[in-house]
Amino acid sequence: MRRIGTVLVAAAAVLGSACAAPVVAPTVTPVAPGLLAIADPAAPPGGVLELQIPIDTGAASGLDPQLADVAVSWQLMSLVYETLVVIGPGFRIEPGLAVSWETPSPTEYVFHLREGVTFANGRPMDAADVVGSLERLLAGPGVWATQVGPVASVAAVDDRTVRVVLDRPYTPFLAALANTPAAVLPMREIAAGTVDPATTMLGTGPFVAEFHRQDVLWRFARRPGYWAPARPAADKIIVSIVPQESTRIAALQNQSADFAVLGNVDAPQLLAGVRGVVALPQATTDFYYLMLNNNAPGGKFADPRVRTAVNIAMDRTQIAAVATAGLGTPTGVTPAGLPDACDPAALPSATADLDEARRLLAEAGATDLSFTLTAFSTEPAPAVAQVIQQNLARIGVRVTIQQLDEGSWAGAVYGEVPARFDAALSWFAGYADAGMVAQWWKPEQAQFNIGFMAPDAGLTAAVDTALAAPEGPGRPVALRELCAAVDRDAQMIPLVTRPVVVGYRADAVSPTVFATEGYGNVLRRAADFRVLGR
Amino acid sequence: MTWIRGLDRLSLAGLAVLALLVGAALAGTLLGVGGAQDAIVGPRLAPPDGQWPLGTDQLGRSMLPRVLAGIGTTLLLSAVAVAVTATASTLLGLVAGYRGGWVGEVVLRGVDVLYAFPTIVLAILVAAVLGPGRSATLASIVLVTVPLMTRLVKVAAETVARRDFVTSALISGASHRYVLARHVLPNVAGTVAVQGTYALSVGILVEGGLSFLGFGVQPPASSLGALIQQGGIYLLAAPWLLVWPGMVLVAAVLAITVFGDGLRDRLEPRDSRALK
Repeated sequence: MRRIGTVLVAAAAVLGSACAAPVVAPTVTPVAPGLLAIADPAAPPGGVLELQIPIDTGAASGLDPQLADVAVSWQLMSLVYETLVVIGPGFRIEPGLAVSWETPSPTEYVFHLREGVTFANGRPMDAADVVGSLERLLAGPGVWATQVGPVASVAAVDDRTVRVVLDRPYTPFLAALANTPAAVLPMREIAAGTVDPATTMLGTGPFVAEFHRQDVLWRFARRPGYWAPARPAADKIIVSIVPQESTRIAALQNQSADFAVLGNVDAPQLLAGVRGVVALPQATTDFYYLMLNNNAPGGKFADPRVRTAVNIAMDRTQIAAVATAGLGTPTGVTPAGLPDACDPAALPSATADLDEARRLLAEAGATDLSFTLTAFSTEPAPAVAQVIQQNLARIGVRVTIQQLDEGSWAGAVYGEVPARFDAALSWFAGYADAGMVAQWWKPEQAQFNIGFMAPDAGLTAAVDTALAAPEGPGRPVALRELCAAVDRDAQMIPLVTRPVVVGYRADAVSPTVFATEGYGNVLRRAADFRVLGR
Repeated sequence: MTWIRGLDRLSLAGLAVLALLVGAALAGTLLGVGGAQDAIVGPRLAPPDGQWPLGTDQLGRSMLPRVLAGIGTTLLLSAVAVAVTATASTLLGLVAGYRGGWVGEVVLRGVDVLYAFPTIVLAILVAAVLGPGRSATLASIVLVTVPLMTRLVKVAAETVARRDFVTSALISGASHRYVLARHVLPNVAGTVAVQGTYALSVGILVEGGLSFLGFGVQPPASSLGALIQQGGIYLLAAPWLLVWPGMVLVAAVLAITVFGDGLRDRLEPRDSRALK
């Protein structure tokens, strides 16, 4: 009995001590503008870095970066492939494989290529590779061709200079070129048939892929002859695919991982007392959005009044506060945090009240509306879905949540045209320009959402106008009108930005971590990471 | 109710705990004690206090109604599954034990196939086929508990089928169906009842395991396993998310186990009459 008593007292002590201390999020201060952490340049190079991330590259689209359509694919492929320009801290466009560029006119870009860049097979990269890669991207089936914009022609001026001419001004052009699908590929080898990018990764990047088993493991090795001196610092990067959030957190605690990408918004608190572990919440321009299937036969959301009612019921502030623990922020289609983004509190849906939502439902004969919300199980999506459910209960709408693994979810949402789901939850990368993501509101071009979204000429015009608006006082106005148009359309309803928590062992790795990210790429500066103590 | 008087004190305590849990589940489900289990009512991860007796979870929902609803879900799922198991196993076991021969062999080899799978692997397989949710949980518990109960009922029926009173009944012209219903079934009922309590505790653990792995009930529905799964990651930061459903799960399994032991003693006359 004495032993039982001791155990009970100990359990009560643990519970009591925890109860006495409310769970409070630790504050994080950037170490430099736009950076949460900077790799220690004094640390010696070398070593093996062990990473854990929740999901692998999209198996269906293979390893061709131009076909990569999910952010995690861009992240992993960015270790091998590089782009003409890159995103720096604070969403600055910085030189990549192009050392500089000029814009002689609003529709013309001239890129000057970096000297000494080679592919992993040793062949120097030249302008023909850049031209061929862009032409292949624009002619191919990849969704990123839409983001690159209205390109009229791509031509090599000489071996080290490339000129791109656009049909019309397109402000996000450079930000679109900065993503992995716009990477420079070894076009000579691809044309000769000696390299198939769907199965072989041959890029100019700091690492080469040594081993890959889908949904299990990647092993990347340092590439000798990389153009940047002293980079990459690590000899190898081993990336384990670990879907379970708790396992990734435990891996940091028991030192079986040096670095992990975490989705649990409470991870900073959960890891706060673990010696040597740092957990940094990274703000992103990615955002969760609610898809209301407009195309389902006999669908519940074909009536715009029903979609508007659902949109009005969304309490973005509560979703951000509860489901993302305040790490996310409410947003319209122009991601919060980007220059010129619209104010989500000023959206038509945000300024209407719940009585208006109920009135619209009554008008549409949908007072007894119930539907199934299909969500994936990666955190914090289930939490977002549950807060949406509570939001809609306020106007009498009943929601059943169907939680699926990522693969099953993608099949249910994108697998059929017309799609048969009622509603679904997902997130878009928000990129580095406030207007870019709105391209996906043109389903006739995006295609991946044609199964559940009907094209709208007015909305398409609003998107094109905003994307063509040059930097200046006219752009915020165009973006505000775009936000309002998307809000009224309500086929895809932007909700809150998606936070990411970067966890690492400070005694094992010194990483560079951006304070803000727009392409889901936590490993953006992986070539700078220093492995410590081994 | 005379059988209750024959139970020892430990078994009675188990029965009382079980009754308390059922009462708590009914209070939560039917009387709405603690409020709605899926409503966001307070701050996130608030520790237990006067306002939130069991604290709040990561979405600001009171843990009290969630634990009560979790008890109800887990007990109901397990009980329904065990009822299905008892029915199926009794039918299969009776036929296999009474008829014997190739019929018995087919039944036994069938349950052997189910036996070959580790419990949780079989449950995951079922969940993968049916999709996560209550149906998968029910089917998993049934498939996991059917083999053992079928074997035990088969052995018991085989023994009874060789007894003189069965032979007498057959000689006097009784049909096999009558003999099975009138003579064999009542004599294997004790085995089914005792094994049912064991299956109930196994069912609770399977439900907990499936929900822990994310294949059980879907959010925002609550079950003990789902609550433990959601709370596990908060063990150090917010232990009340794990402690309450964990304690209830342990109490439920212990109560059912000791009650089942007492029931077995009560229903096996030879054991109860043995010299102590």
